[in-house]
Amino acid sequence: MPMRLFLSLLLLAAMPLTARAAACDVPAEVMSAARPMPAVARAIQARNLRVLVLGSGSITGPGASGPDAAWPARLEAMLAQRHPGMRVELTVRGGRGVTVQDHLALLREAQTTQAPSLVLWQAGTVEAVRGLDPDEMGEAMMQGLERIRRAGADIIVMDQQYSRFLRANANIEPYRDKLRLVAAAAGAALFRRYDLMQHWVETGALDMERTARADRAGATDRLNDCLARAVAELIAQGVAEAR
Amino acid sequence: MSDDSKPLGKPGRDPRADLCRGLALWMIVVNHTPGNWLGGFTLKNFSLTDATEVFVLLAGYAAAFAYAGMADRQGWAPAAASLGARIAKLYVAHIFLLVVFTAQVGFSAATLDRAVYLDELALDPFAEQPYRTLLEALLLRFQPAFLDILPLYIVLLAILIPGLWLRRRPWLVLGLSLGLWLGARALGVNFPRWQEGGWFFNPLGWQVLFVLGFLLGQSVRGVASLPLPPRNALVTAGAVACLLIGLLVMIASEAQPWLLEPLPLWVPGFLASIDKTSLHPARLVSILALAYLVGAYLPRDGWVVRAAWLRPFILMGRHSLPVFCFGILLSFMARLLLEADDGWGMQVLANALCLAALVAVAWIGEWSRATTRRRDPVLPAAAGSH
Repeated sequence: MPMRLFLSLLLLAAMPLTARAAACDVPAEVMSAARPMPAVARAIQARNLRVLVLGSGSITGPGASGPDAAWPARLEAMLAQRHPGMRVELTVRGGRGVTVQDHLALLREAQTTQAPSLVLWQAGTVEAVRGLDPDEMGEAMMQGLERIRRAGADIIVMDQQYSRFLRANANIEPYRDKLRLVAAAAGAALFRRYDLMQHWVETGALDMERTARADRAGATDRLNDCLARAVAELIAQGVAEAR
Repeated sequence: MSDDSKPLGKPGRDPRADLCRGLALWMIVVNHTPGNWLGGFTLKNFSLTDATEVFVLLAGYAAAFAYAGMADRQGWAPAAASLGARIAKLYVAHIFLLVVFTAQVGFSAATLDRAVYLDELALDPFAEQPYRTLLEALLLRFQPAFLDILPLYIVLLAILIPGLWLRRRPWLVLGLSLGLWLGARALGVNFPRWQEGGWFFNPLGWQVLFVLGFLLGQSVRGVASLPLPPRNALVTAGAVACLLIGLLVMIASEAQPWLLEPLPLWVPGFLASIDKTSLHPARLVSILALAYLVGAYLPRDGWVVRAAWLRPFILMGRHSLPVFCFGILLSFMARLLLEADDGWGMQVLANALCLAALVAVAWIGEWSRATTRRRDPVLPAAAGSH
């Protein structure tokens, strides 16, 4: 910790405040959560990858410059870029205030159409903010994860966004614990968005709460891009482990 | 205050219970201040149980001394009246804390006008429906984050009013309590919340721990109660095993998640099913194991309860109501400090301020109790003075 503090202080001193745009690096412990993703590996081989994103407010990329800047859209573009010639079809379901219970219904609907190879499930923010029962959230999510597993898709669970405001004013820990255990119980990878965003805040790479109004849209785009990059990285790792 | 030969409190009062309660109160403040580095060292990081369980168990224990003792001496009605007065005090304290909390969240939300945090902004229901939220808060059907222990405590004390009737029938009390706990768990019954779901701490579940604490207190008082478990190798081994398993579980699920990977999926599945809301049996067993080991192996007059540096915690345990309420208030302020800056300087400052204020509150409580005693001609001066 002191070493990291020292380094970030050094970084702060070396850069003028306006250009404090350190790279949004992804620490090893975030990547260590990767799990083998055989379904995605098969889909890449077949040159046709279908991804379903379930989530709440952040999947629509609020505050970003446009719909193409939201992290799911960025992820779609990055996956297509990494695998030239592959068809990537990414569907987004959910939105502001959507809970895990709502996701269950959306999941049923989405699975009747075309089965995805990968489900990216972002959850836990709405529940924490409203103080809903973390155990009920966990049970509902277990059901959904079981369903996805039976359908043969790989899963990534994504946790909450970090902010000082959320950390201070919501009892976030029980929900983070539950997501972690539920993901482990389903054999799913956990994308630790909370830890990652906190890491970016602490290293001065990206701090939404301390960004001036004029720079906000640009910073939001960058946040979405960084998140998409890290998820793409996690998927690549999972595919590599499946081989 | 003089330390020589002065017993802590009146005879029968166990300084170990006060010490544990004082430590639990401090941990509750630390755990209610998210982002606090000390939060990584509290009981919940090493055990399936945490400071809430300690607090509720010892609340039942203390209630046996205070209210069952009073009912034995003066009858049920004065004890019930005294309980009623306590409940009223707790309710007023809760509403006061709610007002402070609301002001704090409102302040924080006003500075967070970032579109990125669309979902997070719903944290402030007062902004959307102020009057309805206020009404629901008064009915205890709206409990904001971190303001959920006092409502539980209020209901537990209210249950004790009829419970005192049955104080001479400990097995009946235990049977009713276990039945209520298991029944509530099996049927999923909980006190209702305003929008959906139930209380974060389901009183129908948590009462079992309070009642066990009460029966423990009755045993220690020497009146009709359950027999205390004997101090022997078998029970000790069981208790140690429980706590060790809990420790391993916490290490595997929090600090070193890779430990879970090679295990069959039902292991994390079982861990995910351990709920706090209705007090999962694993949590209950853990706190009972911890209480057994403290009761059996921490000598009542050992160095631990005599150590000068632990004395502030004993004082905090003796004045738990003001310390608890003030602690919640302090955690709001510490939260604002850490929200503004969570570097090590602020961490040290916030924690030092909180602990110093808690000790001051306990010390003032002790001092004022001593002064009232001294004026009381019936009781001899209990506390020494210079």
